[in-house]
Amino acid sequence: MKLEKKKSNPEIPTSSMADIAFLLIVFFMLTTVISATKGIEHQLPQQDKKTTENIEKEDSIYIKVNADNTFTVDKEAPASIDGVGMLKDYLYPKLSNNWKKPIIIYVNPEAKYESMIAVLDVVKQLEAQLIKEKNIPNLTITIPTQAEAETWGYQ
Amino acid sequence: MKIGKTRAVDAYIPTASMADIAFLLIVFFMITTVFQVDKTVLVLPRSDVRSEVVKGSAFIVVTEGGFLKVSDGKEDTHPIDQSDVLSFAVDLMSKNSEQPIVLKVDHNVKWHTVDQILDQLGQAHAKNLQFLTDLKVKQEKFE
Repeated sequence: MKLEKKKSNPEIPTSSMADIAFLLIVFFMLTTVISATKGIEHQLPQQDKKTTENIEKEDSIYIKVNADNTFTVDKEAPASIDGVGMLKDYLYPKLSNNWKKPIIIYVNPEAKYESMIAVLDVVKQLEAQLIKEKNIPNLTITIPTQAEAETWGYQ
Repeated sequence: MKIGKTRAVDAYIPTASMADIAFLLIVFFMITTVFQVDKTVLVLPRSDVRSEVVKGSAFIVVTEGGFLKVSDGKEDTHPIDQSDVLSFAVDLMSKNSEQPIVLKVDHNVKWHTVDQILDQLGQAHAKNLQFLTDLKVKQEKFE
């Protein structure tokens, strides 16, 4: 008796492919954290620079963050940190004339961290505005530590 | 004319493209996945100016109670003593002098805690710092 040979097409079984793929999706969905970590960039001064100029308080813009949720700029009267936006109006004419003017932000040790961030935020906003309008490089922003402030007399 | 018998067709849902869709989703999740090195819950200060944290940045976390945690950007954060920040930073800088460091500090922390950290980072010749913040939400006045 002649047996009839069935001709079957060769194929790679892919039926489980979707299962594997969905398993991987579930893994990534569970482990994924959509990155929302953002912050304010700040460059620390480099002590090993050969040209360490001693900047006089009078040559710079001196912002002091006080312990009682207020701030003072140069010789102006203290203002509440809630009205820190007005700092921009004060700094803009000064820095648009001379963007090289160093900005010193001295923070009282008892002041809240968020007060310093509020001031730094306004200064950084102004920096972004000046870069856009006048095409200047970055402003010189210094946040002296307590030890540096004592050495330089910024208190 | 004799019309042929209607043949019953098996109903089925085509699943050939299922794997393609699934792999597309996998690629999306693979690209967007970031394994967080720190999961400490704290209230961050708010700011308008914010830029994305560089992948692989080291973390220094300060909680409201003044507890410190650090991470080199590869491993999860672990508690550390305030006086050990210098050795941690020196170790980081010896591996990569341009290593960005992220400061994740609770908004209520007093400045002297941050000041001591900045002092030690300065001694270790750290350069690139980032103060982690949340986006400032504009408050509408209801009058």
